[in-house]
Amino acid sequence: MTMDHAHGRLIVWFSLLVGLLFELMPVPDIVLPFRPDWLLLILIYWSMALPHRYNILTAFVMGTLLDVLLGAHLGIRSLAYSLAIYLIVLNFQRLRTYSFLQQTVLVGIVLCIYHLIVFWLQFLLEHATFSAELLWPTVSSMILWRWVFWVLRRIRRRYKVR
Amino acid sequence: MQPIFARGVSVQFRLTLAVLLSVALLFANKKLEPVRESLASLLSPVQYLATAPGELFDWGAENLASLSMLKKQNQELLRQQLMMSERLQRFEHLRQENERLRALLGSPLHMDARKMVAEVIEVASDPFHQYVVINHGSNNGVFVGQPVVDAQGVVGQVVEVNALTSRVLLISDPKQGIPVRITRNDVRVIANGNGELDQLDLRYVAKSTDIKVGDLLVTSGLGNRFPEGYPVARVININRDDGQNYLKVTAQPMAALDRIRYLLLIWPEQQASEKAAVTEDATKVNDKQEEPKS
Repeated sequence: MTMDHAHGRLIVWFSLLVGLLFELMPVPDIVLPFRPDWLLLILIYWSMALPHRYNILTAFVMGTLLDVLLGAHLGIRSLAYSLAIYLIVLNFQRLRTYSFLQQTVLVGIVLCIYHLIVFWLQFLLEHATFSAELLWPTVSSMILWRWVFWVLRRIRRRYKVR
Repeated sequence: MQPIFARGVSVQFRLTLAVLLSVALLFANKKLEPVRESLASLLSPVQYLATAPGELFDWGAENLASLSMLKKQNQELLRQQLMMSERLQRFEHLRQENERLRALLGSPLHMDARKMVAEVIEVASDPFHQYVVINHGSNNGVFVGQPVVDAQGVVGQVVEVNALTSRVLLISDPKQGIPVRITRNDVRVIANGNGELDQLDLRYVAKSTDIKVGDLLVTSGLGNRFPEGYPVARVININRDDGQNYLKVTAQPMAALDRIRYLLLIWPEQQASEKAAVTEDATKVNDKQEEPKS
């Protein structure tokens, strides 16, 4: 069956690499607290569009890579990413039919949960103090979601990624 | 419609697997250090790639600088150079004097440590940690625990080394403490990071301690991590709260931690200190030899 063959796998991984680069790119200090969760947004898109190919384990791998690159305690983002993407994979059909506004709200909730899991694990492992600043990336990511969605959908249709 | 999840295992199974693996990673973090190091070395091209856009901008800015700006900069640098060379002359004189005095006292001489300039290629993207990544690694001889300074003062120490890059923990990180002394009266204290880039806390300072706003704190050399005499911070606030057992002292790091770009890696030479120890022994022997004579 032709349906079963993955197509454009390279493009998906390339987009994830770009997300990883955006996560690491040095930015001015003023913008730093607002850095959107690029990688998670891109993972959310792919697990929503192609949940049978890119899902929890993809998220796990990318989370581990991000942990290594950020020099954080291993496993924090792998766990947080896996759980966030699990929520998306459970609701992907609903997400697809939602309007943009509803979609944005749901993505925002998932991002919030992701940030809270990361904070919670940091708090358990090393001492971390909670500040509202931690949730600012959620706002910037929600604003960017529509754009990320649009760009990735165009890429998916153009290169017939399956 | 294409059957979803026709192949493979269920979502729940995947989730359980991911969670179990993550928890295993969380617990085995310490033991996985070598794996993490090799993975980080493998991924260091990603880090270099991430800094590429910023470097492109820098390159553009450098190449598009106007003639008048360059002239102005050149003048300023010449002026600075003149002032520095004047200070250096005085410093050279002082150094010689210091060495003579130390020789008189029979105490070990200070050796010039090996240094290397490194560039910051990534700044903490994680609100819970304060570190920078620099562009030198074990290939250049960087080691864990190595002190890092900039033009103004101590920046931090190396905590993770890969082949091409290494990670520097800043002095403002809550996990970092640095033994210092006040230059005015040699009182020893420990400066702890508190998570703010422009603040250090001095903890457990007794209320009777002679400490004033404006006091300069330099590394004391205790703890054998940071070499002695590098400026660390200046005291900016002292809070005498009667309800507390200790003074609450805040200091501001000398190094502008929010805008560091070029750093100096220092090799506090083991050999130099060993040599010094040998000379010290030699002088002791001399003393002993001299003693019977006198």
